[in-house]
Amino acid sequence: MGTITQSKRQLAWVFDLNKCIGCQTCSVACKMLWTQDGGSEHMWWMTVNTQPGKGTPKDYETMGGGYRNGKQTPGKLPTREEFGGGWDYNYDEVLRGGKGRTAHLEKIAGSKTWGPNWDEDEGGGEFPNAYFFYLPRLCNHCTQPGCVEACPNDALYKDPENGLVLRNEDLCKGAQMCARACPYKKIYFNPDRGVSQQCIGCFPRIEQGVAPACVRQCPGRAAWIGFLDDERGPVSRLVNKWKVALPLHAEWETKPNVYYIPPLAPVPLNADGSFNEGGERIPESYLRTLFGADVTGAVDTLKAEMAKRRRGEPSEVMDMLIMYHWEECLGPFDRDPAEIVWASNGAD
Amino acid sequence: MQQVERKTPAGEWADRYRNQWKWDKVTWGSHSVDCYPGGCPWRVYVRDGKIVREEQGGKLPVIEQGVPDMNPMGCQKGASWCHLHSSPDRITYPMKRAGERGEGKWKRVSWDEAFTDIADAMLDAVQEQGAESIINLMTPEPGAAPARMFSNALGSPTTDGNSEFQDFSPGYYITWGKFNPVSSMDDWFLAELTLIWHCNPVYTNIHWYHYVSESRYNGGEVVTIAPDFSPSAIHADYHMPVKIGSDAALALSMCKVIIDAGLYKKRFVQEQTDLALLVRKDNLRFLRGSDMAEGDRDDQFFWMDAKSKVPTPAPRGTLAMADVDPALEGTYTVTLKDGSKVEVTPAFERLRERLKDYEPDVAAKICEIHPDMIRSLARKVATRRTKIFSGWNSGKYYHGDLYERSMALLLALTGNWGKKGTGTRSWAISGLDGGAFVRNKGRMGQDAAREWVTNLAKARRMLTQDDPTLTLEMVTYRAAQMAAELGGLGRMIPPAFLWYYQYGYKDRWNNPDNNDPSMKRTFDEYLNEAIDKGWWDAGLAKTYREVTPRVLFESGGNMLRRQRGGQKLLLEKLWPELKMIVSVDYRINTTGLYSDYILPAAQHYEKIGNSMPSVHHMNFVLIDKAVDPPDDAMNDYDIGIGLVRKIEERATAREMLQFTDRGGVVHDLHDITNRLTMNGALLDEEARVDEALKDDAAYGILPPDSSLEVARQKGAIRWTGWGLVGHGLGQASTIKPDEVHNPFRWHTEDKVPYPTLTRRAQFYIDHEWFLEAGEELPVHKEPPTHGGPSRKFKMTSGHNRWSIHSMNMTNNIILNTHRGEPFMFINDQDAKAKGIENGEWVNVVSDVGSMEITAKISPSVRPGQVIVYNGFEPYMHRNWYSQADVEPGHVKWLGLVGGYGHLQYRPLQWQPVPADRAVYVDVEKIS
Repeated sequence: MGTITQSKRQLAWVFDLNKCIGCQTCSVACKMLWTQDGGSEHMWWMTVNTQPGKGTPKDYETMGGGYRNGKQTPGKLPTREEFGGGWDYNYDEVLRGGKGRTAHLEKIAGSKTWGPNWDEDEGGGEFPNAYFFYLPRLCNHCTQPGCVEACPNDALYKDPENGLVLRNEDLCKGAQMCARACPYKKIYFNPDRGVSQQCIGCFPRIEQGVAPACVRQCPGRAAWIGFLDDERGPVSRLVNKWKVALPLHAEWETKPNVYYIPPLAPVPLNADGSFNEGGERIPESYLRTLFGADVTGAVDTLKAEMAKRRRGEPSEVMDMLIMYHWEECLGPFDRDPAEIVWASNGAD
Repeated sequence: MQQVERKTPAGEWADRYRNQWKWDKVTWGSHSVDCYPGGCPWRVYVRDGKIVREEQGGKLPVIEQGVPDMNPMGCQKGASWCHLHSSPDRITYPMKRAGERGEGKWKRVSWDEAFTDIADAMLDAVQEQGAESIINLMTPEPGAAPARMFSNALGSPTTDGNSEFQDFSPGYYITWGKFNPVSSMDDWFLAELTLIWHCNPVYTNIHWYHYVSESRYNGGEVVTIAPDFSPSAIHADYHMPVKIGSDAALALSMCKVIIDAGLYKKRFVQEQTDLALLVRKDNLRFLRGSDMAEGDRDDQFFWMDAKSKVPTPAPRGTLAMADVDPALEGTYTVTLKDGSKVEVTPAFERLRERLKDYEPDVAAKICEIHPDMIRSLARKVATRRTKIFSGWNSGKYYHGDLYERSMALLLALTGNWGKKGTGTRSWAISGLDGGAFVRNKGRMGQDAAREWVTNLAKARRMLTQDDPTLTLEMVTYRAAQMAAELGGLGRMIPPAFLWYYQYGYKDRWNNPDNNDPSMKRTFDEYLNEAIDKGWWDAGLAKTYREVTPRVLFESGGNMLRRQRGGQKLLLEKLWPELKMIVSVDYRINTTGLYSDYILPAAQHYEKIGNSMPSVHHMNFVLIDKAVDPPDDAMNDYDIGIGLVRKIEERATAREMLQFTDRGGVVHDLHDITNRLTMNGALLDEEARVDEALKDDAAYGILPPDSSLEVARQKGAIRWTGWGLVGHGLGQASTIKPDEVHNPFRWHTEDKVPYPTLTRRAQFYIDHEWFLEAGEELPVHKEPPTHGGPSRKFKMTSGHNRWSIHSMNMTNNIILNTHRGEPFMFINDQDAKAKGIENGEWVNVVSDVGSMEITAKISPSVRPGQVIVYNGFEPYMHRNWYSQADVEPGHVKWLGLVGGYGHLQYRPLQWQPVPADRAVYVDVEKIS
């Protein structure tokens, strides 16, 4: 079994769930960059799901993994069907098959019952007090990564420079113990290559000073990346100083490094249809299941800072979340990738 | 910059990933599609001659200090656009139908064979009935327009896009004489209150929405008004779940609260609107100059000076009130030119009368919301810089004009336009002059460009000879109207009359279930009156009583998906009459499947172009050519030239060197190519684009040094001026380099009149039909029972999140981000009552047709509502019938009004437009 060697510094992501609009640009950016080859059709290292919902893989929150009281707990290996998607279609039959209306575009490969974003915009509650929000997820690059410990081939490790959890695919033998151990179920298996794969933190970009695609391509300006120990950076300030960004399912004890600004929602309606000012549309009990008890404080701080701004007072938190200059979200990785000129032999 | 040597992960596996992110060429790119705000500057990365991915440029500057920048403009469609290049529905060879239309059997042919067949069919059509029998569909993909170049030579009409794809805001047009004064998107940051109303920007304005969330963090408040708990409600402070189609009642009730509480901005109302103008009590018409004195103008209107109690002509040349204090209330007696006396009241007084029907307690029942919501929101609007984030949803309701007029009234009463952080939105493009004029200016070079605009300006000034009060904006609109009236080259027509006479819509539009019960006469009576009065002569309305379409030319569009009223009607009525159907596209869409020829067009990044030049971002954004088009695919421009050359060749062979059209205009069919290309100078792609850019600089639209080379360095170049082509002058504000753009400021600050009949924002329309309808002022009316009065659900719609129309819908990457098959949203309790399971295929039925679609169940949907976000390719549905087949596709009769000031046809503006929202349907399980 692998051992976890801690890194000197830790990279972390922050996602503002009040800015995330579920557009999937991060997912698609990641997909276009990393998972287009044979065997990776079904992979979405970055996903955005509607909450409440079953997510991807379907019902991943019930599949186990992670730690309880410091001990690894067994986890289920999600099936391809549960991950969903991986669809291909009968384009030729419809467009060139001479069948006219008797054939319509339908799936000829992939899951029959689920997709990476199958329950998009369904959510919970009851009309008119329905509610939902979007939750982007990628590998949490955990400080206590169950996958690393679970690997029988020592393939997984934490990058000593930045804490990214990486897989030496040359060592990976496709045992998939990592995928059982990961409670977030963000590890996929490539049947063509016989290896598991997950988010690589865009390390080839990071090492060139370019932010990961999911952050740099987020049109909602809802994502930040940075080092947790960089006290001047928005990531550290949102996580450590203001404590408005919280990890997902901290109770799984892997010490994840992706943090979320918890979602607010419109005030709910009373039975007579009037606004129930001060009422909660998203039940706090539900938010606690995702972000733990600290969510109350985070939401209170967020609301207090918004109120300050409405009174015309300054607010450091609001200034960070507004992101006056887009580069603020890129942390130290603000290099324009288009300016890179690769060596002519194609290898650097 | 050379890459930094610093890598930790080592090994083959790590280099494999490193190599995956490398490229050998990078160009600027964007997408020339109808998406707003559009204009995303992307970098396109090429490796080994193949486009591997695109990523947002991220280089846009902060415009106004204290307002966030626009980076990183883009969305998931753009991030996977290049996947479409090699999608299995891509087409790269000219294909000729080898089976029945719609069967999907094809034979690969040469361009020459295709052009010959098509050119002959066009010349046959010209000989049989005239060029009007060749229908060019205007499509929302501007990049595909050059393929329609032949219409310039033949004088064949192009159907007006604002009716074809229906992105018109009729109520805003009625009010302002233009529907599209819009802010740049960064102005939305400055709103203190944003009402998301008839729009779903979380889906449709992906790279703009951050300004809404950021305005909220900046102290602003966001209220979403929608029948469902829309995806654009989730990040709002409040959601007001109004009943479908009750928006006018809501807005008018807020207006009542504001007026009753004395919170309205009196001076703004007096100066900027028609509400101070006097209305005769005897006939409810405005008091006009022609009433008052022999020889005075019919379009001279009057105020009552509150101080002198004298009816005073409201100046036509300015909004400034000088020392007049126009009364808003009271009844006065006026002596007319014949000595008779009539009572008059300011229109505002009539408005107050009308608003008596909209006490919050009453309106709340209409809207199915709590009256306190109305009261509290009204007070907020009255006291804050308020923006209404509207889209083209309202205009697609039968009574959408009334919703929009009511929403505009709310803004007028509260002074909420013409200053930063206020106003509303629609679509607007500008900065088109360089490309539009390049072949008119006679010779290459910017001196020729300057001469051309100087002469154009002189010619337009001639129009002011009989009325010196005409503003530049009005003159420009008048010129566009005259161009439509004169017809000739490249004319645009409102398609409604073609639909009515030739596409089979007559029965539908005369079906009382589809129309407003307050109509006093049949649809036919109104239509015939409109035609007889000549209101639509400029639109060839009479012509299409006789001319049957023979050739249908679709470039970059998908009529069989788009046409409200459905493909079934088209295939039954129109298709059998057509001798030639052509689809120019990079992919096979449903219309392509029903075409005789599909001509393969270059994709984005395979030709040089520019993105939608939208006022929302105010940049020229380059789409450079990164790779050559594959196989036989060709640039749309070259397709257009190829077809024109073949028309010349075939016309010569057929000894048809010229023909005379219905209007007596002679069209030469020789030497067309030279005329269209400035004797070949424009044939070269780079030269053509470079010339247009340099001309734009000469016209003051772009900075002086602009060129293709500069565009290749910068990707996006911010406008310095509006130019004449597009909706720039309609913005009525001067572009400032370091400020957000907010429209209307020439009106509010410089007191320049509005381009309406009354020269003011016009809420009172005294046209006889409006009076007959009781719509001289905004009013609430229930949507008609189109689809079938007994049906239990109302179907609403909107642009989808996953595609621009159907363009990206078949992109396998995108398909995997949703259900990957067509779906509609239905409320959980409704689904339960019907025993419908999540994901189950169901049948959606109206009186005119049905479609099969899967159910997606959510408590966010209003009970009794089904939501079908449009754009699914019909061939994704079983049997290929889609949403449009359930929609009757009729138009509101008041859209036929003409001959009234600004209510007359002008391309892309006032015209009858189809309604497709709140269609009555049933949802049935498929047994």
